[in-house]
Amino acid sequence: MNDHDLITAVRDSFTDVHSGTPVEQIVRRSRAVRARRRVPALTAAVAVVAAAGLAVTWLLPGHSATVQPGIHLTAWTVVKHADGTVYVRINQLRDPGGLQRKLRADGVPASVVFGNPPNVQSEPCQWYHGNAAGLLPKVVPSIAPGPGHAILAIRPSALPAGAGVQIITMTNLSRIGVRLVSTSQGCTGS
Amino acid sequence: MRSQRLDFAEFYRRARDECLRTVLVSVGDYDAAQELVDEAFARACASWRKVSRHPAPAAWVVRTALNVNVSRWRRRRREVAVPDLGAVADLSTAHEAADSPVDPTIMAALLRLPARQRQVVALRLFLDLDTGRTAEVLGVAPSTVKAHLARALTALRDDLVPTQEQERSS
Repeated sequence: MNDHDLITAVRDSFTDVHSGTPVEQIVRRSRAVRARRRVPALTAAVAVVAAAGLAVTWLLPGHSATVQPGIHLTAWTVVKHADGTVYVRINQLRDPGGLQRKLRADGVPASVVFGNPPNVQSEPCQWYHGNAAGLLPKVVPSIAPGPGHAILAIRPSALPAGAGVQIITMTNLSRIGVRLVSTSQGCTGS
Repeated sequence: MRSQRLDFAEFYRRARDECLRTVLVSVGDYDAAQELVDEAFARACASWRKVSRHPAPAAWVVRTALNVNVSRWRRRRREVAVPDLGAVADLSTAHEAADSPVDPTIMAALLRLPARQRQVVALRLFLDLDTGRTAEVLGVAPSTVKAHLARALTALRDDLVPTQEQERSS
């Protein structure tokens, strides 16, 4: 058997291998890829704007020298896309109440618990008793925990009436958790 | 935008099977290969303006799929023991023969090749890349590609061609 015959035999043995994924599914996934890219880009843009603002402040004539130089990364960033998906990037476990308020303002009935011991909830949240196992991947289609930051995508439109989202992380962003909870005034604000 | 989407759809229709076969040879697992190729095509679609200008967009997709595979392996390596390649080949022969779309003897022979040789074989055979483009995709010298291909074909021949036939042809 010469090289050509060998190559033909190997190539022919794969003729029944076909990709069954429809192009629509790839295009849908590409939107999530673009969205993943936008969140860090937005954080970078915030940092650049903050740096520019600081530089301008320092250049203003007569500005007081009491301003503390240095840029602080935002603890978290929330971006709501046109399709209603809310992207959350958490850089530091600070200001859970602020993140909770921002998520609620963007249409996510949310509870955020950071730290050990955790920030106090006015009322312990109750598990949502609907089809939580099948529902969670639809409500939170992507979650990317990491040592430096964590990124979540939340689709409020996938939440049934009476269900909300609780984001929990104690001390480490690589161990972030999300669960579905029943909405209530004390847990999710409504 | 609409014409870009149609353009990508046409590329996907033409290239998806070749890319899947190429990645399947490289990673040795059909489901993993399908997932990696889907992710790579999604990234190509997300950056289609750039990727469409690439001299070999299918090679870009395969390179991306292999990079994703390496990243996932790095993330998981602390938790999952990497199976022995020979064992993978034997498992493939023993358990997947019935439902595998690929001749299990050929798949097992390919999986016994070192990873780099397998990648060279895959890029040359299924994407029909020339030596230079294969070298570019893998980030190695063209002479390395030639050496890998020659060794891989020798090993495959030793593995697949019955001894008697080898003696007859020599």
